Amino acid sequence: MRFIQVTITFALTMLLFGCANLKEIQDFAGQSAKLSGYTELTTRFRDTYYREQPYLSGDADRLAQENDAQRKAAYQDLLTVHQSVTVYMQTLATLAGDESFDLSPGIDSLSSGIKAHPDLGIDRAQVDAISGLAKAISKWGTSSYQRRALRGFIKEGNEPLQTTLAGMERLIDYYQKTNDNEWKTIKGLLELELLFTDQPESKLLATLARAHTQTKAAEYQLASKKYLEAKKGIQTIANGHQLLVENLDKLSKQEVKDSLRQFSKDVRVINNHIESM
Amino acid sequence: MALATQAQIEAVAAELTQCADIVHERLMKGVKRKEIERHEAQLVFQDEIILRQKANGLYIDAANCVVANLAETQKSLLTTIDTAKQKLKKIKDITAFIDLTADLIVLAAAINAAKPSAILAALKEVKKDVENMKEAAQFK
Repeated sequence: MRFIQVTITFALTMLLFGCANLKEIQDFAGQSAKLSGYTELTTRFRDTYYREQPYLSGDADRLAQENDAQRKAAYQDLLTVHQSVTVYMQTLATLAGDESFDLSPGIDSLSSGIKAHPDLGIDRAQVDAISGLAKAISKWGTSSYQRRALRGFIKEGNEPLQTTLAGMERLIDYYQKTNDNEWKTIKGLLELELLFTDQPESKLLATLARAHTQTKAAEYQLASKKYLEAKKGIQTIANGHQLLVENLDKLSKQEVKDSLRQFSKDVRVINNHIESM
Repeated sequence: MALATQAQIEAVAAELTQCADIVHERLMKGVKRKEIERHEAQLVFQDEIILRQKANGLYIDAANCVVANLAETQKSLLTTIDTAKQKLKKIKDITAFIDLTADLIVLAAAINAAKPSAILAALKEVKKDVENMKEAAQFK
């Protein structure tokens, strides 16, 4: 009995030292999986023609319709680029999770099964001791399995992830530039026509046009901010994952955990910011 | 002249946008100085926005380039994700197996005690566990 007690204490102590605290990784992956903005901005890109159409006519309108068809055709593929990053991050969060590699619940139910049947001839106290030991050992075993799985995943995934994130940043750049042309078209028409609307009989029209320009300006300013925030978010995720891959052997070091916690915080702030806009 | 790379497409689009910007600036100046009358201004403006539409068309081409270039990378990511899922599945399998063992013990005791209601309840649990193991086997 005493021997078992000593063994359990020893096993539990080993467990505490052996387990890398993976919560920071889980948080980082969780926040990164939620990256806001890209989907919304991709949809905004698709709907460009809907917004600019009132200001177009003639050949320009015809060209715009062609562009519209092409954007709609590309929409799904643009979304898929992001989806693979989301699934990667969700998988990373699961790999770093507490419950994914925890066999304790199973062992618990095994031991209560045994305890509830004294006719099986096993002493209650012994069952507790043995199940405690089994849990400690399995946790230790699965935790090193977990660490190896996690390291392999991060190492293998870094390059394709960085490439995909760079691609997403480039795409948001194109969305932004398209948006710039859209805004200049709208603003351009309004300010040009306003120059010819200086007669007293067109005072109402001029006023409406100016008010409308103000509203639109605010709308496009807000959109501008979203592009910047989304790009910042992608860069932060890229940097966070780079940190992970460069510190695979030191994942439990305080400085690594601290840096990672900061990255998670940054991504969360950016996500909240975009969602509130 | 064929536009090959994404960088070249991007560069031309930027040029077209800049041209449009310059046209607009000159147009506004011209109208304010009363050098250009309304109808003419509207024609020039039409040309300006055609330039912008062409630029936007090129940005779509560039975006399609990015997507096409990422095709291989996507496959890489998916392979990495699959490997991880296999490892997670392995643990899930072990858990399901332990659950089964626990419930088999309960079943054995119930049969021992020869209580039909207990046997039935225990059988139900074992059936659930076998379902879970089958499910875990399909976990992709």
